[in-house]
Amino acid sequence: MGALPLAFSVPMVLSALILLPALWYLLRLTPPRPRQIDFPPLRLILDLKPKEETPARTPWWLLLLRLALAALIILAMAGPIWNPLPASQGTQGPLLVILDDSWAAAPQWAQRLTAAQERIAAAARDGRPNAIVAISDGARDVMLSDSSRSMDRLRALKPVPYLPDRLPALQAVQKFIAANKQSEIIWFADGLASGHARAFAESLVQLVNSDHIRVITDERPVLALAGTENNASALEARLVRSQPKGLQTASLTQGQVRAFDLKSNVIGEAAFNFALTNETKARFELPIELRNEIARLEIVNEHSAGAVSLLDSRWKRRRVAIVSGATADLAQPLLSPSYFLNRALAPFAEVREPRAGANDPILASLNDRIAVLFLADVGVVAGAAHDQLARFIEDGGILVRFAGTRLAGSSDDLVPVRLRRGGRILGGALSWDKPKPLAPFDRESPFSGLSVKDEVSVTRQVLAEPEVGLAGKTWAQLADGTPLVTAMRSGKGLIVLFHVTADTTWSNLPLSGLFVDMLRRVVAMSGETTQADGAEANVKEANRVVTLAPTRTLDGFGIMGVPPVTAKPLPVNYEGTANADYPPGFYGPIDGLTAVNTLSVNDHLDAADFDGLRLDMQPLRPAEPIDLRPALVALALALLLIDALASIWLGGGFGRQARRATLAALILFAGAELTDRPEFVSAAQAQTQTQTQNAPPARTSPREIEAALKTRFAYVVTGDRTVDEASRDGLLALSRELARRTALSPGEPNGIDPSRDELVFYPLLYWPIVTSQPQPSAQAITRIANFMKQGGTILFDTRDALLARPGGPPTPEALWLRQLLAGVDVPELEPVPRDHVVTKTYYLLDNFVGRTTIGQTWIEALPPDQGDQSNRAARAGDGVSPLIITSNDLAAAWALDPSGQPRFPLIPGGTRQREMAIRAGINIVMYTLTGNYKADQVHVRDLLERLAH
Amino acid sequence: MVEARLLEADETRPEGRHEMGALDLARRLPSLLVAAKDVAATVMHGVHGRRRAGVGETFWQFRPFVMGESISRIDWRRSARDDRVYVREREWEAAHTIWLWMDLSQSMAYVSNLALQSKLDRALVLGLASADLLVRGGERVGLIGLTRPVAARNIIERLAEALVQETGRPDYVALELPADQPLAPRTQAILISDFLTPAERIRQTIQAMASRGAQGHLVMIADPVEETFPFTGHTEFRDVDSSATLRVGEASLFRADYVNRLAAHRDAIRQVCVSRGWSFTIHRTDRPASEALLGLRMQIESGYSIGSFGGAQ
Repeated sequence: MGALPLAFSVPMVLSALILLPALWYLLRLTPPRPRQIDFPPLRLILDLKPKEETPARTPWWLLLLRLALAALIILAMAGPIWNPLPASQGTQGPLLVILDDSWAAAPQWAQRLTAAQERIAAAARDGRPNAIVAISDGARDVMLSDSSRSMDRLRALKPVPYLPDRLPALQAVQKFIAANKQSEIIWFADGLASGHARAFAESLVQLVNSDHIRVITDERPVLALAGTENNASALEARLVRSQPKGLQTASLTQGQVRAFDLKSNVIGEAAFNFALTNETKARFELPIELRNEIARLEIVNEHSAGAVSLLDSRWKRRRVAIVSGATADLAQPLLSPSYFLNRALAPFAEVREPRAGANDPILASLNDRIAVLFLADVGVVAGAAHDQLARFIEDGGILVRFAGTRLAGSSDDLVPVRLRRGGRILGGALSWDKPKPLAPFDRESPFSGLSVKDEVSVTRQVLAEPEVGLAGKTWAQLADGTPLVTAMRSGKGLIVLFHVTADTTWSNLPLSGLFVDMLRRVVAMSGETTQADGAEANVKEANRVVTLAPTRTLDGFGIMGVPPVTAKPLPVNYEGTANADYPPGFYGPIDGLTAVNTLSVNDHLDAADFDGLRLDMQPLRPAEPIDLRPALVALALALLLIDALASIWLGGGFGRQARRATLAALILFAGAELTDRPEFVSAAQAQTQTQTQNAPPARTSPREIEAALKTRFAYVVTGDRTVDEASRDGLLALSRELARRTALSPGEPNGIDPSRDELVFYPLLYWPIVTSQPQPSAQAITRIANFMKQGGTILFDTRDALLARPGGPPTPEALWLRQLLAGVDVPELEPVPRDHVVTKTYYLLDNFVGRTTIGQTWIEALPPDQGDQSNRAARAGDGVSPLIITSNDLAAAWALDPSGQPRFPLIPGGTRQREMAIRAGINIVMYTLTGNYKADQVHVRDLLERLAH
Repeated sequence: MVEARLLEADETRPEGRHEMGALDLARRLPSLLVAAKDVAATVMHGVHGRRRAGVGETFWQFRPFVMGESISRIDWRRSARDDRVYVREREWEAAHTIWLWMDLSQSMAYVSNLALQSKLDRALVLGLASADLLVRGGERVGLIGLTRPVAARNIIERLAEALVQETGRPDYVALELPADQPLAPRTQAILISDFLTPAERIRQTIQAMASRGAQGHLVMIADPVEETFPFTGHTEFRDVDSSATLRVGEASLFRADYVNRLAAHRDAIRQVCVSRGWSFTIHRTDRPASEALLGLRMQIESGYSIGSFGGAQ
């Protein structure tokens, strides 16, 4: 397809495009339907002979539309694919996918998996089997499998948090190629040289023809954090990146490193910028307390284990103080013990030195909240300083003392061992014949793992009195077994004694790097001494290597999680980087965590170099192949719809038919939308089902909230459609009339079911009696009774005025109503008397007419007349009658259709009767809302008269 | 492009909007009259003087009292000026009877987008409005075959109700012409229709109705589309009363023929009317209804003068 990234899965179908001209010819011959026009005077010209019957030609644009439609369908049948995968190299052998699953592949893992799945799917379409090799699997045998199993396998693969070696996997590949000669290999390389990338590639080239090998690498460089240093001024994280050859690395030259504490709270962010180098640093310039809280550094948006650096207590900067016993005015400050100590401690600790000439330097230092106190050749600590120091040690502080002439002369009790008075000078007067070197450290010693250099020699030292337990207190000794460093636990703290000076007068130890490492170990012990105590005790019991169980480890994406089962316990003082046995993470108890990282301070990331191997290198493509078929078919459907509309339009069918057509089109679209999403349909169904199933009656529905917010009337839904519509329209018309004539503007009436809906919101309930409606349940009757007791009024309408005869048998409606009211506490009823207040609440009425006029209206009987009230115009009971029974079919008289015309004819009829029916309704509503207020109004004159007196 | 359609069944029923439209039209007419004063002032509607003493409102003459007459007829004011006793006589005035008929057939339920109203709506409004106008002028109006002539104030409602009842009957068939029954002499008929039935058939009807001397007025309602025939292109015409269709390759070529046919048809009807002394007016639905009403009223008024009454006196 030339420059276009377009391919067809069935290109043969495209030959059908040849048929388009034939279609053109056919379509031109078939004219559209004539316009159809209704024409009443047609009779006048029916006998005329048509003069010309030449059919109209199909318009050119319609022709074009239909041709485009046909072309689209043909194209869709040909299966076009945008961004197709490159075709296989002609081989029909199996496809072997080799996946580098180190953490370096983690940032682009999803893309890698997608690409691999596409390749496997493409191979499966060609009927080729495939196999997957993950580098971390090592020499495990490679099995051929079908595509679905491979897809599952791929989905299960996760990057490992270390850089596995590729050579073990090579054996498996060799075995596989030996069995399947014609294999095609696709290697998703992580782009790093480590793990024998070059050797692996060379071997692959020897195994199969290099035409059948494809190497897919990411264009992005790999970023990682390699080592962190907590300096005096800032925490410095070292970043490294790989730079693949020949590829632009404009991206990822700068970014952010984020620091977290143990609880994953963000502590700070620092920017980095590689510029042109492959190594840079990010500086966290934070207060030391905050820096010590940092447990994890992450490169933002770089999701891999390499982009995470874990920090344990070794990275904490302890605040230490150095107090020297030497006099304040030093002639040669660069040779003083405190100078050596300062230089050795400064890289990893915050060093405080009390001002020269301070009153009591030890006390001053202790008040500085230090973790470790270094006493260089201080003989005796006495008085308040001694007590303070003892308490400091008891509370977990570490006291490190260095020997010297003063200590050799006299010492206090704050030493780990009893000292023999008088120093020992090797090679000197009180010495052995020549300076002694250091012996290798015991495995139980905190210094174990540090390499002992031969050049370190001791010429003079203080000697420990040989006593029981001296060996246990010894951390370092000379080649002849003389203790050089001894230590003793005291309370929670520790007293460490270097049997030499901190300067170079007694030994050259302070000049060696070992001195710094030893001090680092000692300082790192602060804060964890108590725990180490227990561990040490255990160790002494078991007498074997201390190991730390993995607590939390990183996965390949750099996410902290539960350690995998393959993770092994970490030996104490493990110095290496992470590997398959020791995944990166935290080891040991929660308050004495030891961190293992993927990269160490000295590591670099080298890009894999495949020069001269003639490998087919391809970048990891973010563009996925897109199947254009659905889009084309949709477009064709749209064109079809336009064609249909155009045909209708040409046939003169616009007008009403057009409306139908657009409606049909809309329905078609909506239907397609919905059926496209079956889960939507089923969810909607499920929702409806759940709604119908468990709609608890106690729940407040939005409709009830509406009803409570605005006064409105309700009618009982009877199930008879005509009656219900009449009720609704009637109440609606009545509500509008009320709004027009009175101060009351009710909302739209609600249709309710007394067995389900809450009635309390409605002042008036209109209940047309329909005998076909089943009697309400006992629960509903209770509700009705409660409604009436709470002040509601029910207007029962038997609608049988034409059927009922006075003195005759009761009508079915009346029987139904009697049965209903049998369970309700009904007051005594009477036909509405002429002086009842309901006849005077708004209009002055004689009777209550509806669709019929002859029916009787019943209302709660008034209390008997008092003699002196006989001249009153209106009488009322105490409350509002809870029920009014009429037979005149009021709602039918009120009901208007949407155009404002009366719905039902009246008997006998006339505008006047309709008006009177409305008035009756208004009076009833006013009666239910205002009660006996109008009856009281008649007293006004009497009251005014009395007030005047 | 011209579009025309038939009304849906529920749109063809006479209902409130026709009453309101007719009332509105009839009430607007006085203001129209003011505008067309010189036209209307000469033709006062209402009861018509018979140029002789009789029952009426207008003064005719004083004549001496004759013994035996009711004393209450004496005009005391006139008698007081003289020795003799006079009786005031009024001119004999009589109300006319107007028979109204409106075509409700299928072909009337037709409206194009050039028209203001469907033919049916226009016919109903025009008919009811003229009824109201006539009743207010003192005449009695009835629907042919449906009501007896009455002079009620709510004549529009009455007639409309009668129409509704009639069209609501299950066996109701809309007729294109009224029944061929003679009308009483000295009555007038108003027939409002599109008169698309063959002219021969119309002639029979008019002859039958006028056989006893009744006068009449034909108002032919026409949709503008029916006059101008603005169709072009490949078209299939459908008749509305029958299932006849006419497929035409190029409709515009038919225009001349159609216009000729229509003119001939109208001429034929006009001939029939003239021969019986009836009036014939054509009203297009793109013209305001008041125009037709005014024309109709002038026809009716002139019917009094040139019709049988004028001739009889």
